[in-house]
Amino acid sequence: MASEPAHALDRKLLELLVCPLTKTTLEYDAAKQELISRAAKLAYPIRDGIPIMLPDEARPLDDSDAA
Amino acid sequence: MAASMDSDRGRTSGPEMATSFGFRKVASGEKQPLVNEVFHQVADRYDLMNDLMSGGLHRLWKDAMVSSLAPPRAERRAFRVLDVAGGTGDIATRIVERGGKATNAVVCDINGSMLEVGKARAAKAGLGGRLSFVEGNAEDLPFPDRSFDAYTIAFGIRNVPRIDKALSEARRVLKRGGRLLCLEFSQVDVAGLDKIYDLFSFNAIPVMGRMVTGDGEPYRYLVESIRKFPNQERFADMIREAGFSRVSYRNYSGGIACLHSGWAI
Repeated sequence: MASEPAHALDRKLLELLVCPLTKTTLEYDAAKQELISRAAKLAYPIRDGIPIMLPDEARPLDDSDAA
Repeated sequence: MAASMDSDRGRTSGPEMATSFGFRKVASGEKQPLVNEVFHQVADRYDLMNDLMSGGLHRLWKDAMVSSLAPPRAERRAFRVLDVAGGTGDIATRIVERGGKATNAVVCDINGSMLEVGKARAAKAGLGGRLSFVEGNAEDLPFPDRSFDAYTIAFGIRNVPRIDKALSEARRVLKRGGRLLCLEFSQVDVAGLDKIYDLFSFNAIPVMGRMVTGDGEPYRYLVESIRKFPNQERFADMIREAGFSRVSYRNYSGGIACLHSGWAI
């Protein structure tokens, strides 16, 4: 995977992104295709490989999302 | 119609832009959904319409913008650009093609339809490894402080409701020594050209828009929003107020478009 440039950059992109509200780092949930902001209690969706970093589009975290 | 517009031209202050949708006044918070709808409607034919509307000039202006940025050609010198509101990848593609292999660009647009077009194009052009696409808001960027060497925005800042907020976010994400480049329609400063330009834009552009995309309304918005945008000097002041240094601008085609530049120092 490290030799695949497209994935390599996507990984770099994921490392670069922060929560737009709190500017804190995110956790990547590969199974759910979500980027989780614990600080804002929001899960930002990734659709067709495009992270949607808009609070209005994010799923509020609930108890089942405990770390 | 054109005559009554003259008094309005370039007079809008930053805060007023948040509640103007073209010439219509809208409630705070209403502008963004209206702008989104415009770009959803025109996404797949956006670049074609730009060609028709500007007689191909937008390509020259964009090329000039990328020349001014001059991304490093050295293979190993990493150079990371954030291109905001550039959903179709128009500017970002030019930047990575011109720069060395270590030049890459992140495209951040609030509109998913525009991003889909851009991502598909990047994959087709074999540039997928150097371009990434993120849906985000220019007023609340999802990037850390001091993470980019350059911030570019072409024909996008006019559509952002709170321009001052977008500019301060641009300042925040730029590294020390990073550069802001903003290409936008501006105020024509050549006598005679302004009259022709008004006739063309208020009459011909919505008609062309209707012919190509089936709807003239989105293009009526585009034309009106151009007239509402702060003029060259006023916009330069807004960039300075956001904390940029050595702010300058250069008119293209008699001021139809203008490139503003500022440095994060």
